[in-house]
Amino acid sequence: MELREFRYQAGDLPLPLEVLEARMGYPAGQCPDYLRLLIREALQWAEEHSEIQGGLVVLEPVSLRKETHTLMLGGVELEIHKILFGQLRKSDAMALFLCTAGPAVGAQAEELMRRGDFLEGYILDLIGSEIVEVAMDQIQDTLERELALTGLHITNRFSPGYCGWRVAEQQKLFSFFPKGFCGVTLTEHSLMQPIKSVSGIIGIGRNVRRKAYACQACEMAHCIYRGRVVTE
Amino acid sequence: MEHLLEQIAHCIEFGKVNQASPYPPEMKGQPGADEWTLTALQQGFSPEDILQHGFIRGMDRVGEKFAAHQIFVPQMLLSAKAMTTAMRHLQPFFQSGEAKKRGTFVIGTVAGDLHEIGKNLAGMMIAGNGWDVIDLGKDVKTERFAETVRQHPGCAVGLSALLTTTMENMADTVNALKREFPMLKILIGGAPVNAAFCTEIGADFYAANPQTAVQYLKEISVGWSK
Repeated sequence: MELREFRYQAGDLPLPLEVLEARMGYPAGQCPDYLRLLIREALQWAEEHSEIQGGLVVLEPVSLRKETHTLMLGGVELEIHKILFGQLRKSDAMALFLCTAGPAVGAQAEELMRRGDFLEGYILDLIGSEIVEVAMDQIQDTLERELALTGLHITNRFSPGYCGWRVAEQQKLFSFFPKGFCGVTLTEHSLMQPIKSVSGIIGIGRNVRRKAYACQACEMAHCIYRGRVVTE
Repeated sequence: MEHLLEQIAHCIEFGKVNQASPYPPEMKGQPGADEWTLTALQQGFSPEDILQHGFIRGMDRVGEKFAAHQIFVPQMLLSAKAMTTAMRHLQPFFQSGEAKKRGTFVIGTVAGDLHEIGKNLAGMMIAGNGWDVIDLGKDVKTERFAETVRQHPGCAVGLSALLTTTMENMADTVNALKREFPMLKILIGGAPVNAAFCTEIGADFYAANPQTAVQYLKEISVGWSK
């Protein structure tokens, strides 16, 4: 089990204004100019204050139990929900991941909202989420490219808290990483701190595929990941 | 006279907080909801008229435009800021009992969930529509909701969640609150929930967006009079 580490500068990540505007709901070209300016300023602040790092652990073999929708990895039993089980069942190996944008962006967004600067806080919060997702896209793309050389493919990535996978399972997931890895810890409810962090699992195998998000398998109509395009 | 209340509604609709605020640019240098509200009070408008024909009218328009996808969350937040800033001038009248609100609305993100932007937005929209909003924050345990309801008989409650897995906590909270307060109206909202889930867990209303929450609360507060 080898732990791979990744570090990024936010300024090097693809974070076009148009994408951020779209995340806020604006159709192309319809975001007011003053908001664009605010987004640009917030993005610059976030680029200067983010500490983006992540890690990846690949584990095999994988043992899946259909009756219980569980997955045995390195002696640890992960209780994944049936939605996730269906997505991962053809995997021969699994990659567990963790990625964070660091504490500053989330904390500043919270502070702005606390003092009544709702708009500025919202924009920074959204940028923080986007940074960590785009950084994780980079990690996932790297994994996909490397595995392709050996004829292997990957699935989409899935996180505790979504697709029915309980947040409490995050405790098990974190047991595969050194304590405090990337500066990320879990609260008593198994939520990550800093809040702008993601963790989860990616299936690996000859018969799996990464696809445009598997939203048809899920009933979560307003999910933040619904319709998110895979960066292939 | 009416012109003054319309000015307040207009400033809230377009998110013009005060004269110093640079947003929206086309209103730069003009008075905002803050100054117009103060002027209205000085000219003898009642706090309830300002609330009803200024704030609520403005926030209604914001909600309608949001529901019709004519504006999006950032503009709604500017409107909410304009409203909350101006609302400070009315607070003393509500606190003294000289003016009445529609009722009390208790809102929070359920236990195990740290996401609160949607909840904050709903809370601000509801406050702008004349409700006294008690925001319990995020990761709120059932007992804290129950304790607050005990302190505010007749209130309504809003529960929010973002994670699919905290939906269970939402169900537990609804169950416990309904057991202790069978007449309590409970609204739920958030990315993973829907109308079917609302029915399944015994909540009263699923709010797909802040505006539908406002509409529902208007319906259940028909007894309220100014």
